[in-house]
Amino acid sequence: MRKEESLTANLDWPLFGAIIAMLIMGLATVYSVAFNEEAPSLFSFSEKYGRQLFWIIFSLFLGLLVFLIDADIYRRFAIPIYLSTLVLLVIVLFMPAVHGAHAWLGVGSFGVQPAEFAKISTSLLLAKYISGLTVKQQTTGTVLTASSILLIPMVLILLQPDAGTFVVFTSFLFVMYREGLTFDPILLNFVNAIPGVRYKETWVGSHFIPILFALVLLSIITLLLDAVVFHVNLFSLELELSGSSGVIFGLLVIYLISWLLMQRFSTRRERSRMMVVLTLGLIIASAISFTVDKGFDMLRPHQKDRIELFLGLREDPNGDDYNRNRAMAAVGSGGFLGKGYREASVSSVRSNHVPESETDFIFCPFAEEWGFVGVLILFALYLFVLFRIIIIAERQRSAFNRIYAYCVAMILFYHFAINIGMNIGFAPVIGIPLPLFSYGGSSMMSFSVMLFILLKLDAQRKDVLR
Amino acid sequence: MNLDARRNVILSFIVLVIGIYLFRLFYMQVLDETWTLRAQEIAEKRKEIFPPRGVIFDRNGKKIVTNQTYYNLMMVEDSIQNLDTAAFAKLIGWTTQEVRQRFNDIVKGEGTYYNKITGKRTSNYQKIRAYPFLKELTLEEMSKIAPHLANFKGFHEEATSARNYPFKSAANILGYLSEVTREEIEEDHFYKPGNNIGRAGIERFYETELRGVKGIKYIVTSALNNAIESYADGKYDTTARQAEPLKMGMDVVLQAYGEQLMQKKKGCIVAIEPSTGEILSMVSAPSYDPNLLVGKRNISSNYPKLATDPNLPLFPRPLQAEYPPGSIFKLVQSLIAMQEGVITANTGFPCDKSLVGCHNHPSARNIAEAIQYSCNPYYYMAVRRIIQQGVKKNNFADAEYGLNKWYRYIRSFGLGDVFDTDVSGQRAGLIPNSKFYDKWYGHHTWAFSTIRSISIGQGEVKLTPLQMANIVAIIANKGWYYTPHFVRSIGRKGPLPEFKKRHWTMINYKHFDPVIEGMRRVVNEAGGTGKMARLEDILVCGKTGTVQNPHGEDHSVFFAFAPMHKPKIAVAVFVENAGWGGTWAAPIASLIIEKYLKGKVSDPDKEKRILEAQIAYKSSN
Repeated sequence: MRKEESLTANLDWPLFGAIIAMLIMGLATVYSVAFNEEAPSLFSFSEKYGRQLFWIIFSLFLGLLVFLIDADIYRRFAIPIYLSTLVLLVIVLFMPAVHGAHAWLGVGSFGVQPAEFAKISTSLLLAKYISGLTVKQQTTGTVLTASSILLIPMVLILLQPDAGTFVVFTSFLFVMYREGLTFDPILLNFVNAIPGVRYKETWVGSHFIPILFALVLLSIITLLLDAVVFHVNLFSLELELSGSSGVIFGLLVIYLISWLLMQRFSTRRERSRMMVVLTLGLIIASAISFTVDKGFDMLRPHQKDRIELFLGLREDPNGDDYNRNRAMAAVGSGGFLGKGYREASVSSVRSNHVPESETDFIFCPFAEEWGFVGVLILFALYLFVLFRIIIIAERQRSAFNRIYAYCVAMILFYHFAINIGMNIGFAPVIGIPLPLFSYGGSSMMSFSVMLFILLKLDAQRKDVLR
Repeated sequence: MNLDARRNVILSFIVLVIGIYLFRLFYMQVLDETWTLRAQEIAEKRKEIFPPRGVIFDRNGKKIVTNQTYYNLMMVEDSIQNLDTAAFAKLIGWTTQEVRQRFNDIVKGEGTYYNKITGKRTSNYQKIRAYPFLKELTLEEMSKIAPHLANFKGFHEEATSARNYPFKSAANILGYLSEVTREEIEEDHFYKPGNNIGRAGIERFYETELRGVKGIKYIVTSALNNAIESYADGKYDTTARQAEPLKMGMDVVLQAYGEQLMQKKKGCIVAIEPSTGEILSMVSAPSYDPNLLVGKRNISSNYPKLATDPNLPLFPRPLQAEYPPGSIFKLVQSLIAMQEGVITANTGFPCDKSLVGCHNHPSARNIAEAIQYSCNPYYYMAVRRIIQQGVKKNNFADAEYGLNKWYRYIRSFGLGDVFDTDVSGQRAGLIPNSKFYDKWYGHHTWAFSTIRSISIGQGEVKLTPLQMANIVAIIANKGWYYTPHFVRSIGRKGPLPEFKKRHWTMINYKHFDPVIEGMRRVVNEAGGTGKMARLEDILVCGKTGTVQNPHGEDHSVFFAFAPMHKPKIAVAVFVENAGWGGTWAAPIASLIIEKYLKGKVSDPDKEKRILEAQIAYKSSN
């Protein structure tokens, strides 16, 4: 082991800086949304912003601790960490329910959600397991083992129940895909059972996960837009488009953009092959969207109801639609430049039109106050963080580090996509926080620790080689 | 297998999602206005502030209509927690069923609307809004409830203003307020559900003048509909302005006194100031306290009682009771006959009872005596000369010509039609012309002998008490009148111009002197029929009348103005089923005149006799 030169040696400053920027933006939004005139100081710990500041400082302190510990322990102790998390996930099921879910472990007001930390421990074990495999070892057995590493905590989390975190766990499938651990071996078993067929791999099996997600995404968008009628004013021509035709129109736009990009950036040889893939993709995607739209109409009413309820298309007794409607009003009323800092009229905590506007719906006040420009900046920051983590991932020399980094990137992306999607009517209302932004100790700590482990692993990436 | 390419799949997936989200957000935030409007609907409330209604003064500056603070018990369903319905019902003195029923009524009463965003019909009722659970409680009632409200979360009190009538009189003139209907709201966006609108009388006629200018306050509200702050520091707010006060020509003391005199009797009193046409008093007996019809609760409990009262207190007798005028018509006939030149002031006719019945009196030697004796044959003769002037050879054609001439005279007295004025609910009465009789009998089949009863104000002629009072005012003015009206002025703008137009009759002023002299004699000469209207130091001119009533006892009628020189008040008094005009109506008229001119009454016995009398009045117990 090399002697530490300093704590910040080899620290990835761009990612660290982006994390700090996000924490500050989040704190500023919590301050705005929960502002209490009687305690205007940021350090008033009776207020949410005071407590959020405390959680940020405490999380940074945890980050410091992570930096003091040698990164090697994560790989070595991945199994004990994972198992102890499983024990916690079992214990938490026997704790009293808070808001209808057995998710909290702790005494009094101080509690933690084991599910938050399960993300880290599952990432670590998955990284350890996959990094230990070689390409040749990719068999039905290894795929199933990797899958069960995910499935066990997922089942325990679903028992709480915590649908949000459950969905987040499917982000690991992307990591498996990235590492070439696909469901192809299982598919091959079926395909090769046909007499006379002998494939070494199938394209569908190798790319099973992105294809599946593209399908799910496309179907959800189609269904969400099903009820919407677009009014298009093209020059003097006024058109009314149904939701599914809007999706197909959108696909066409993406196709044209890709085609233009391709003309500009790809070589002639690649082009013809990619053109085939793109065109096929467009036709298949349009067909799927069309089928989902028509297929949905053919469903029985109670089945439709259930799907509509899940997607939040329907008013339901729990008031999800109410929340979403209010949230969308808040976001949509932001306009281009926003209403100004601390001018959110719909989503401030005081007005309480948008419930949970400091936690799960924190994007609302942000978008309302800063408008589309603020949204652009936030999205750019997230895009930067995600890309930076993937760059970090790709520069790792150890597979463990790379896989862990991908896990972090995908978890962050999932949280981002679902949380923002909730606010703009693209995702069902399942309570998951916006990382580093939302008010709350558990998520703040777990995301900080998750990111600081990544930073520490990255800082020590050269050590691992020795 | 090149796994590194898969990095690009993941990267493009991320870029794709972020791209779609940005498109969506650009659409929601920049292009689509729906959400901005929805946000305004949610958080920015346009709160309308309704000013208290304009107050109303009488001619002497007495406040006759004011506003009083009442309290509504408001309910916010979302804030209700663990409501102990039984205890709550006990607090407000209801049964638990009634409480539940009231709650359901509130929810249903709000109706539904078409929600553009969800595309469904949605109830207007919102759990987070405050709705009045109990309306218009007095301070006393509220002070019993308010201390316990802390135990019933979701209920709070709210002050509101309602009409108050300190003099407890003139209900028939002032009218009342009641809640606006859905149609009225749609017609005039000034109103919001739960607002009041003038339903009758002055309150209805001067609705736009009395309601004032509502203020608009833009506020940012919370989910509980509590105001958080004013929007844009109140830059767009406008203040509510109370309407300017109305000043009426009515003398409220006289009005209250008239109602008092008419207690336990049916009938009416109309008093007009001849020089202005202002209605000094208009009693419709039996009268009722206008405060009985203030607020929804009062209306729903008291209105049915008033409507079913056998004495018909809601029937506006001065405006809608159409009587044959009887003897007062003789005054008008005298004037027309003189103007037509068919008689002079000194024409005499023998009291020939073979023509038409009469009581015993010396034959009238002139107009004044004819009026003094109220001689029926005299007017039979005089009016026959008006109708049958001998202009046409055909007797029927002659009658047609004469009647139509007579009709034009009568119309110039403002009779036969409603007055174009702020007195609502008038009836036109009936003045027959040739067309009327042609329809009745046939063209050229009738002559004076057929229609002779109109000469003494019987038969087809019908007038309302208001029209008759105006005849007295015309005589007092010697030939002209201002349209009778209630309101003198609004705010500080001076008298209303529409009532400043003088209407001239077709009668030369000089013809009025013998008529007035006759009226003086009625009251002041020995043997006059109206001696009970005589006053010590005021020269009253009057005329008794008896209106034949086919359904029972005749109605007692008296008309008078005073003082004889420079008249200040013209009054008509009707007492239903009270028999001869001199007995009841005359003393009431004199009391009204004296009260108005002197402010007090000199003959307490006369007053006492009137107050104690109960005539044709059905007591409720």
